[in-house]
Amino acid sequence: MVTDSSTASATQGADPSVKYPDKNTKRRKHPSPWRILKPVQARVRFAMAISASSALFGLAVMVQLMMVVQRLLQDPDVVPWGWFCGAAVCTVAAYAARLGAFNQAHYAAFRLERLLRMGLADRLSKVSLGYVETQGAGALAKVIHDDVKALHVFVADSTPLYARAYVTPLVTLVLLLVLDWRLALVALVVLGIGYGILSRAQSRRRDMVRSYNAAREKVSAAVVEYVQAMPVVRNFDSGKMSFARYQEALDGYLKVMLDWYRAAGFPARFSWLVLSPMPTLTLVLGAGLLLTSMGDLSVSRWLGVLLICTGMAEAMMPMMMLRHMIEKVALSVARIEEVMNAPELAARSGAVESTDPNAPALRFEDVSFSYNNDHDQALRNISFSVAPGSVTALVGPSGAGKTTVARLIPRFWDVTSGKIELGGVDIRNMDADRLMEKVAFVFQESFLFADTIAENIRIGRPEASDEEVIAAARSAQAHGFINELPQGYDTPVGERGVFLSGGQRQRIAIARALLQSRPILVLDEATAFADPENEAELIVALSELMRGRTVIMVAHRLATIRDADQILVFNRGQIAERGKHDDLVGQGGLYARLWRNYEMAQNWSLGSGRRDAQSLTEAE
Amino acid sequence: MEQTTSLPPRKAQASSFLTTFRQLAHSVGPEAASGLRWSLAGLIAASALQGFGLAAIAPLLTAAATDPDLSRALMWFGVMVVLMAVASALRWIAQGFDFDGRMVRATWRLRGQLGVKLREIPLERLQDKRAGELNSMVLGNVDENLLYALTVLNLVFTAIVTPLCAALGILLFDWRLGLLLLLIFPAIIPLYHWRRPALGRGKRILSQAHQSASADVLEYTQGLPVLRAAGRAGEKAARLTQTFEKLEAIQVFGHRKGAKPNIIVASIVEVGLLIVLAFGIWLVMAGSLHAATLGALFVIVVRISEPLSTFILYTAMLEVMEAALERIGSLMATKPLPQATPEQMPTNHVIKFENVGFSYAQADRQTITAFNATLTERSLTALVGPSGCGKTTLTRLLLRHFDPQQGAITIGGVDLRNIPADRINSLISVVFQDVYLFNDTVMANIRMGRPEATDAEVIAAAEAAQCLDFIGRLPQGWQTPLGEIGGRLSGGERQRISIARALLKDAPIIVLDEPTAALDTESELAVQRALDALVASKTVIVIAHRLSTIVGADQILVIEEGALAQSGRHAELLEEGGRYARMWAAQGAAKQWLGGR
Repeated sequence: MVTDSSTASATQGADPSVKYPDKNTKRRKHPSPWRILKPVQARVRFAMAISASSALFGLAVMVQLMMVVQRLLQDPDVVPWGWFCGAAVCTVAAYAARLGAFNQAHYAAFRLERLLRMGLADRLSKVSLGYVETQGAGALAKVIHDDVKALHVFVADSTPLYARAYVTPLVTLVLLLVLDWRLALVALVVLGIGYGILSRAQSRRRDMVRSYNAAREKVSAAVVEYVQAMPVVRNFDSGKMSFARYQEALDGYLKVMLDWYRAAGFPARFSWLVLSPMPTLTLVLGAGLLLTSMGDLSVSRWLGVLLICTGMAEAMMPMMMLRHMIEKVALSVARIEEVMNAPELAARSGAVESTDPNAPALRFEDVSFSYNNDHDQALRNISFSVAPGSVTALVGPSGAGKTTVARLIPRFWDVTSGKIELGGVDIRNMDADRLMEKVAFVFQESFLFADTIAENIRIGRPEASDEEVIAAARSAQAHGFINELPQGYDTPVGERGVFLSGGQRQRIAIARALLQSRPILVLDEATAFADPENEAELIVALSELMRGRTVIMVAHRLATIRDADQILVFNRGQIAERGKHDDLVGQGGLYARLWRNYEMAQNWSLGSGRRDAQSLTEAE
Repeated sequence: MEQTTSLPPRKAQASSFLTTFRQLAHSVGPEAASGLRWSLAGLIAASALQGFGLAAIAPLLTAAATDPDLSRALMWFGVMVVLMAVASALRWIAQGFDFDGRMVRATWRLRGQLGVKLREIPLERLQDKRAGELNSMVLGNVDENLLYALTVLNLVFTAIVTPLCAALGILLFDWRLGLLLLLIFPAIIPLYHWRRPALGRGKRILSQAHQSASADVLEYTQGLPVLRAAGRAGEKAARLTQTFEKLEAIQVFGHRKGAKPNIIVASIVEVGLLIVLAFGIWLVMAGSLHAATLGALFVIVVRISEPLSTFILYTAMLEVMEAALERIGSLMATKPLPQATPEQMPTNHVIKFENVGFSYAQADRQTITAFNATLTERSLTALVGPSGCGKTTLTRLLLRHFDPQQGAITIGGVDLRNIPADRINSLISVVFQDVYLFNDTVMANIRMGRPEATDAEVIAAAEAAQCLDFIGRLPQGWQTPLGEIGGRLSGGERQRISIARALLKDAPIIVLDEPTAALDTESELAVQRALDALVASKTVIVIAHRLSTIVGADQILVIEEGALAQSGRHAELLEEGGRYARMWAAQGAAKQWLGGR
């Protein structure tokens, strides 16, 4: 499916970096990743405490090893078993504690992943479907899966290191000062120089990271485009243009990387060198040599310093290395929190039962709507009402607003002004459950779950019996093809129903809606994707579904709505014309034009113009 | 990930390094390979010198504690400083391969080559892989595996070579301690090899769990409207909850499995080192070792214990790197479809399918069987039949996305396999059902049909394809970038852009793959006009579902399960009865539906 343009836009939409361009992240300060830990805070703290204790045990080993040597120097004949055993025990304890911290942090991370995923899934069941649609199912799935997964490196790997990075340098410094303040100073100076240079290397880091990410994104987009468009590319330009764009993205990336190395390479490299253990060790050895030769320092103290002096840098370095990863985590946290904070589609307090028994099944009252408040209005002052049991068709050129009207009814979004009433009740007073009791939807493309056919139908009403499921399938003209399948109703439909044709999927969706048996039915281009062979059956199925219900349908095939009770013709967000088919055709307005076009399109056959051309050339 | 584990187990660690190196050298290319070799040699030498430098602490401390004369201690200090300085300098130079940008250039070069390769390999192979997969290969793998290669290798060397050389250095100074230290190394390797499969197993289970969880999550977000309409979203989504619980259980299980080899090796190292220290104390007691030397041993052991006990983590990184480089290597090794000699160019455009048989690589039955057809020059041929009957495969065979296993396809009497690949593309224009718009201006999107076309020619093609009115409405007209607004164009508008592309290209053969399948009424008419402009005086193959659109075809081929069931003109086929007549009747019935009950 490399040519599929919708996949292309979906992947682009799914790419979180597209959704959160750098402009935004620059303005908004990254949220602290620590906040997201809340659900497993106790466990993480526990892990950090064990990790800190492991660091302390480690330092205790050093001190005890120093004492072993000191005792042996004083009196080589007495075994310092106490100190040695202490060192051995502390070694084991340090290792066990480190492992324990590592395990605890990992278990906490896994638990957090589950809790966050469930929380996100739950939140998505409460937000408006419009939010789901604008964000894109793929992008949201990415947040639930990938972004939550991305937290792992922070929660599982970094939190124990954080504890060490704070505890070890402090305690080490104290120990060093106790042992010998001059050598402590030497170690500190090296550390200071290292960090001084490192911070210089980091000074332009933010800009660098930003241009790096931007360049990387460009490469990524270029690759996706290049690969997805390959059939088109090969057919049309042997790949010249898109290959050039791909190459251009690569060149941009190369330039950014080279710039980065040029600007930050030397200080980074130099500070890594200074902060590695060897320079500190060498300098402390040299200074120690000097001091011992002056008789100012005992060998055992010198040894003690040598054992611990590199600990400060060593504890802090991993944090520097992880920094880049943790910055990435902050982006994931921001995305997770954004979904978590998405506004819930709440029911306003207000009447949920109508007092007016004669209220229309559906009424739009002066409804205006815009997708973003600052943008053009998608709908302006729409008013109409639908009598119970009638069929209302929404037609008009693409972009005229008819699909928006259909999607306002299930509260994909709420109106900007005006109101929509179902049976006399403002739909904003209804929560999702109540609304769903009244309205059923059949969308342009029907969605099937990777489950059996029976379960896919039953999802309309989980408590339905097998007989009811089969009856619904019969009415939806699906029983026939289902019975021909190897396992009948127990046949798995495959991921998103891939084992079935478009028309078959659509009929299963109709069976689902039949089973739900709700009074109001919204059809959004329900026949758009039918293959012609199945179309006749699909149409019977739809007629079954529409029987006795109040129907609002968006339609392109005008033949399908000739008998509608009411046709609303939309143009640029307004109702341009309304009435019955014959009246509207008679008026000679927009609908009449649409109808004419439609009839012409229906009678077209490919190459009708060319036969004239051909006869001309033949005449020559 | 999976490939990591499917690699045959290696006999010794050394061979693994060699494999990695060979792959690396191959990936960075011939110009950079020698630089890379030197750089790696430098890193190894630096690690070795660092090890010997560490070992020098033993005589240094011993001298400082026992010899009142400072000169011996100073001499050893000098040795150590020199070794450390040389090691640092070597490492500095070796890392230059990274920091001078040579490695980045190598990745840049490799990616360019991958891009060229993608244009050559058979489309069938390409379509097996998803774009995301290829993206991670070209972007992720190249980056993570080449850009960090030296860093990881440096870590591996310091974790293995430095301790080894430190032990060797001590061997020179005190053979008993040195020997004991050296004993730790052979103890680690068999244990590591014994436990390593567990590492792979854990990873594989985990990656499978993640894959299926990811699919379930996507199903959930995509199915939200349905689930919510059914009141089964959120906490009530039992399946999703189960998936998450299962994932956590597997994560914990995989973590335990994966941590084991690491724990075992680390324990061996720690215990081994403790034994060395205890032995050292015993030697001091026995009077054959000075306490200060023991102290020095402590310092050295503390230095080498951490890297040594964690080296498994780094070798795991190496394995991931190897697997990724292997994937890149196998993509690079994919051969383009063979070019038969002599190269020939057709002089006319009669298309013939001669007894063509084809089956896809994984399929168990033939997609096309013994298919014969002749498409005369400038004729219009329609392919009809149920979905999955092989219509699209036939057009892809004509475009030589793959070759038939039996029979041949000829244009103007020349076998496709004798026509150079880029010439086939110049002979045929395709208008696909789904239109791919590039992230570029409208002008550039149309111009790709013929890059050297003038603006006037592009505009003329757009006019013939009924594009002018909607292009005029775009915010920046012809210069509007379609990447941002491509999604806002309707299906019909996108389709017209692709027709304009094909018009501009002006190839003698046109393939239309259901070009009017999903259009709104208004667009339909415009697209129809555009198509009429496109197909005038060309050899045309059209795949059509809606039979009314092809009643005027010169030839209708009815395909059923990969074979030709019927052929002829519309009227003839209707008269003949059979499959076509039945399809026509069914569609006629559909048209009569009048929307009421």
